[in-house]
Amino acid sequence: MTVAGRTRQRFAGSMQVLIAGLIGLALFGGTARAFVVGRPDLAKAATVFCGVFVQALPFLALGVVISGLIATYVSPDRLARWLPRRTGAAILTAGIGGAALPGCECGAVPVARRLFGDAATGDRQGAAALTFMLAAPAINPVVLVSTAVAFPGEPAMVGARFTASLITAIVMGAVWSRWGRAEWITRRLPRSPHGGGSKWTVFTEAARHDFLQAASYLVLGAATAAALNVLMPPTVYEHLAGQLLLGILTMAILAFVLSLCSEADAFVAASLTMLPLLPRLVFLVVGPAVDAKLFAMQAGVFGRAFATRFAPATFVVATSVATVVGLLFLGGAR
Amino acid sequence: MSRDTENVVLFLLGMCTAAIVVTGTFTRYVKPTLMPWLAVTAVLLVTLALSAIIRDVRARGRRGDDADHQGDVEHAHRSAVVWLLVLPVALLGFVVPPALGARAAEPTVTALPRMVLLRPFPPLPADRAPELPLPEVVVRANRDSANTLDGRLITVTGFTLKEADGIDLGRVVIICCAADGHLARLHLRGPAAATAATYPEETWLRVEGTVVPKPSDVAGLSVPTLTVLAVTPIEAPQNPYEY
Repeated sequence: MTVAGRTRQRFAGSMQVLIAGLIGLALFGGTARAFVVGRPDLAKAATVFCGVFVQALPFLALGVVISGLIATYVSPDRLARWLPRRTGAAILTAGIGGAALPGCECGAVPVARRLFGDAATGDRQGAAALTFMLAAPAINPVVLVSTAVAFPGEPAMVGARFTASLITAIVMGAVWSRWGRAEWITRRLPRSPHGGGSKWTVFTEAARHDFLQAASYLVLGAATAAALNVLMPPTVYEHLAGQLLLGILTMAILAFVLSLCSEADAFVAASLTMLPLLPRLVFLVVGPAVDAKLFAMQAGVFGRAFATRFAPATFVVATSVATVVGLLFLGGAR
Repeated sequence: MSRDTENVVLFLLGMCTAAIVVTGTFTRYVKPTLMPWLAVTAVLLVTLALSAIIRDVRARGRRGDDADHQGDVEHAHRSAVVWLLVLPVALLGFVVPPALGARAAEPTVTALPRMVLLRPFPPLPADRAPELPLPEVVVRANRDSANTLDGRLITVTGFTLKEADGIDLGRVVIICCAADGHLARLHLRGPAAATAATYPEETWLRVEGTVVPKPSDVAGLSVPTLTVLAVTPIEAPQNPYEY
């Protein structure tokens, strides 16, 4: 009785708070709207937040459908059997396999979390899942085509982006298999709540769980991106022309801050015509691998201890790999 | 947050997504081409929420109010972070932020929406004053080796922007979502420019005029100038952005 009583009370608690909040919104929605519209910076932040969130939503939906299917049909043993036995070959397979998920980075995170499984199943699978997570949003056909369209006179840009992103993903997979620790993964996947159940139950429960978790952290990331978008001084670009190193560093940070979708970032990079191609390549390689919203989502699905190590490492690797590949493919500061 | 409340939030998020699709307000945030995918997403979210709610109700009915099983149904994985999803529900469902304003999109890096090579463009329709999207006018004025704009009367819509050196016609261009919005603009000069200048900032206008040919010695991109012959104020268009 006491247990049931407490559970009841807590259930009623969060539901009541939600309902009270909804009634408040229904009553004062107009006032809130007038408040937002009257403040241009706040209105812009709210619109940018909605832009990032609504844009990511369908890709996240695709991601959780795939992760739900993985939970339903691909058992960890089966996945382990599919992957090449050697860690290096497994990472390479996962990197190239990333080209098969035509989406952006938001969908890749929950899929990678499902592929990662429980850390106990071996680091080979974990490394492959992380490589897949970094490769998928950057080297899939949709992203490569949009890059080609955005840079019509520069076919080398597509090759450079593909190469640099794939190398970044493979390096990070290798880094994980060498130095990664299972105890950093503090978020566990839930056990099937109703003791197995039908395939439909397993699928909807997995998709529901993955969506709620990834979307909550997407809110955090989109809010960060919106705030930074408003606070970023617009003159930042103008000081960069002609300063290659500073340009590379700033574009890497900008990629983190703006959190653009990997299917659109090429067009933004193309419009920054006052910068040489190299810093713009860095922008395209860093953005899909690590940005404000991805950091929040990784912290949500893998755990904070993981994200605070993995994201900075990815940032450094992606920036350096993109610089080297850019020097080779694009011939320096053009 | 309890599992039941999570389901309600998921359901509401699905309904809000459906609402912005049905009312068309989603065009303030993303491109119109995303519509079918948003509709599918809305259906998916509502389905996930309803199937979880139905499953829980059935499970509870089977087990009665047995104390030992109650905890099982509201299973242990619970996190406060799901409360964050109330923010998009509040914004999309109740506040509905406005489309990006001209000044919000202003940190314009270049007037060109995307990089386009110098090439001959297809000729304009043979009408007296064909309607062209503002970004296309900017692109053609800068990158058209066939000079299809020369000597042609064209019609352009946009909103007014008052600058120190005269009046401009602007349009917010988005590539993917509102986060990458930027401003494309034309300078308005000529006989009717003074009329355009009498309207308040960000008035929507339909403008007829001819583009002043770009001097051939200007290598970079520049904001084209339109010699305006006629100005008509109009309603704000359905889609706030150009793409």
